[in-house]
Amino acid sequence: MALLEAQALKAYYSVRQGYIQAVDNIDLTLDRDVTLGLAGESGCGKSTLMNALMMNVKPPLHLMGGTIVLDGMVISKMDRTELKKDVWGVLVSLVPQSSLNALMPTMRIIDFIKDVIHHHTAASDSEIVSMARKRFEELNLPVDSLSLYPHELSGGMKQRAVIAVSTLLNPKLLIVDEPTSALDVSTQKQVLRMLVDLRKTGIIESMIFVTHDIAILRQIADRITIMYAGKIAESGPTEDVLFDPKHPYTVSLTSAVVTPEPEVRERGLASIPGEPPDLLDPPEGCRFYPRCTKSMSICRSVEPPLVKSEGTQLVACHIVSGDG
Amino acid sequence: MIPQLIKDLLRIKKLDASLAIFMVIMLTSVFGSVLYKVKPLAIAGPAEQPPSAEFPLGTDSWGRDLLALLLTGTKNSLRIGVTAALISLTIGVVIGVIAGFKGGVIDSALMLVTDVILVLPSILIMMLVAAYMRERNPFYVSLIIGFTGWPWVARAIRSQIMSLKSREFMDLSKMAGLGDVRIIVEDLLPNMASYIAMAFVLLMSGAMIAEAGLSMIGLGVTKGVSLGIILYWAQMLESVRRGMWWWFGPPGVVLVLLAASLLLMSTALDEYFSPRLKGG
Amino acid sequence: MLLEVKNLTKIFTVGLFKRREIVAVDDVSFDVEPAKFISLVGESGSGKTTTARLILNLLAPTSGEVICEGRDVFGLKGIDELRSYYRSVHGIFQDPYAAYNPLHKIDRVLNQVFNLTGHSEAERDGVVKEALKEVGLRHEDVLGKYPHELSGGQRQRIMVARCYMLRPKLIMADEPISMIDASTKASILRLFSKLRDEYETSVIFITHDLGLAYYVSDEVLIMSKGSIVEKGSPDDIMNRPQHAYTRKLREDIPLFYRKWPGF
Repeated sequence: MALLEAQALKAYYSVRQGYIQAVDNIDLTLDRDVTLGLAGESGCGKSTLMNALMMNVKPPLHLMGGTIVLDGMVISKMDRTELKKDVWGVLVSLVPQSSLNALMPTMRIIDFIKDVIHHHTAASDSEIVSMARKRFEELNLPVDSLSLYPHELSGGMKQRAVIAVSTLLNPKLLIVDEPTSALDVSTQKQVLRMLVDLRKTGIIESMIFVTHDIAILRQIADRITIMYAGKIAESGPTEDVLFDPKHPYTVSLTSAVVTPEPEVRERGLASIPGEPPDLLDPPEGCRFYPRCTKSMSICRSVEPPLVKSEGTQLVACHIVSGDG
Repeated sequence: MIPQLIKDLLRIKKLDASLAIFMVIMLTSVFGSVLYKVKPLAIAGPAEQPPSAEFPLGTDSWGRDLLALLLTGTKNSLRIGVTAALISLTIGVVIGVIAGFKGGVIDSALMLVTDVILVLPSILIMMLVAAYMRERNPFYVSLIIGFTGWPWVARAIRSQIMSLKSREFMDLSKMAGLGDVRIIVEDLLPNMASYIAMAFVLLMSGAMIAEAGLSMIGLGVTKGVSLGIILYWAQMLESVRRGMWWWFGPPGVVLVLLAASLLLMSTALDEYFSPRLKGG
Repeated sequence: MLLEVKNLTKIFTVGLFKRREIVAVDDVSFDVEPAKFISLVGESGSGKTTTARLILNLLAPTSGEVICEGRDVFGLKGIDELRSYYRSVHGIFQDPYAAYNPLHKIDRVLNQVFNLTGHSEAERDGVVKEALKEVGLRHEDVLGKYPHELSGGQRQRIMVARCYMLRPKLIMADEPISMIDASTKASILRLFSKLRDEYETSVIFITHDLGLAYYVSDEVLIMSKGSIVEKGSPDDIMNRPQHAYTRKLREDIPLFYRKWPGF
């Protein structure tokens, strides 16, 4: 049984002019023991999707429809109290963007941990401290940092501490949203190593890593899902999506990767003109249609469904699925 | 941008209320002093009469119509207040901008002058100057008040300029080869418009009270009438002890209302502009 | 030689009571020839942005010189000399929001450059629209708007457009495409190349992205803690890194065509 199964998920933002259809009718399946990379450019809806998937939905974001089943439980039917008690931190944890700044400046790390644990279990303070120390050791984090205040830690250490705390109760699923964009390259590698260790040691079962940097996903993801303008464009095993991309957007995205490798210089950098559509009033057909060089007439009026392609991936494209 | 700004400002309740109070008083005094046909300083009837149909605010010890005195007095107080505020504002802004922008020796010199004036007890200075002037017309009184009220404005403007100076948007204008004056006028001053507006409102409030203070010790305008002058007479002729509330009451109330509405306006402006100044 | 940076040093003193010295730029020297792309690569805090501001004469140095086409940049006096300098050397800034005066429409950022160029009134409208087109913006989308009404990518592109209008000899580009979506970055880089090919413009790219530096530069300078630790061609830096910092940088960058060992 899959760890997470979302069907027909719709999450919109209500604004003065109407609704921003940030997540629009998305199906997503996540197996156990998988690191899924969710890639897409700014505004494509990936952060919204993550919040929606774990039912962290507060106005102006509204869940407009769909079902979410996590580890057998239908969480889309639960209310906030139940979610806080049985789901968040316990089954699934989200480390949002800029979570570095979420640490209370007046609490030491260990106090923060005690606070979090007390919400979920009746463990005593000394039990919590020993558990925290053990976990930090396991993850190669300096145990001394537990007694420090956030401002005494470096950016990278803060990020790792936040990730450690969010996985203290061994949630089955960890979702991290752009955890390394503000960090320098070496610190980034440390954080990525920590995430990989979390999976290797079995502390978490699966992980969803949200980013715009595809090279990171190449290094740590088993599967990749590409999002564009609120929809999934392509989804499949990492190597297949990155080196045998089917959706025209994926093709452009992978040809725009800039890493210091000779292949990049040989290939050159691709670029697509135009910008993603306004999600207040998205177009009827394929959302990539205005920028696609290979489009057909059906692309303008009919939205392509996400279906199996000739390779291993699921692709939402009329050209690929041979329609029209 | 300006029309939108005015529209936004008018949506703030505090601002609406205080602005309304202020405008009502101002317009009543400006138009009323013209329309109400009784001359304020003329002897209009029997002395020390309580309010009646003929004299809505009664008469003072000389038999003068207190309503006429109030209307003209308020108008003059406002005029002195505005003039003094403008004088202080101009001096304070010019000195603050130059000191903040230029820095270095010029800044130190200007701040020295500012601090000296800041430290001097302005009431005493005003009293000294006023006492030596035989004839004090409203403009001179405004000058006295204006010349002592500017130091805090200069300091406030200077800090604003210094913090704005290091903002990156100055770089683009510098790279476009704009001279100092253009950069100050085009880039810095618009970002300080809110400060300047608040400073003006506060200055006006302070100036009117200062004028009242000077007048109440007999150092106000030598000819004409103002709120302070009315209070001066009221106090001299012991209107409080003698229960002539219609004499000392209304001018005091009007003065307080004016000062309070101005202060309220400045806090409303501050609330509106502060989050936006932070780049919101 | 278009630009010569000689022993440039900048020390900041901070603190009210306990004065501390921060050496932001430490004895930096390098040269730039016409029609060349140089990258100044470093992490945040490495001093690269301060170096850029020094070269742009927006900051006074503690010591050192910058010579542009034989002129001493820090010795420029008077509006005319400064204008002449900025016609040849111009900058693109890293944080496009802070770089804009929030109270003015973005048109001002573009129209300001006419202070430096000799365009007639009649020509100006066309020049602006052409530049916007070159950076992939539709003038209807951005003209007349305020900075907060535009996205980070749009603001960044407008700054590139401003430089394009000037056709300067040297552009100091501080993270010029960091906020631009991956699918559009290449078009801006192509614009820089066009300026180089047609007008011999040189660009100093200031970035933390070694991949970008590798792709686009003729020469790469690695900066760390205020000093240049290594200089070389992209291939030298990638294949024969000398300095420990460079080596670490290379090891830690996530690659696309190769996997990290042990991950």
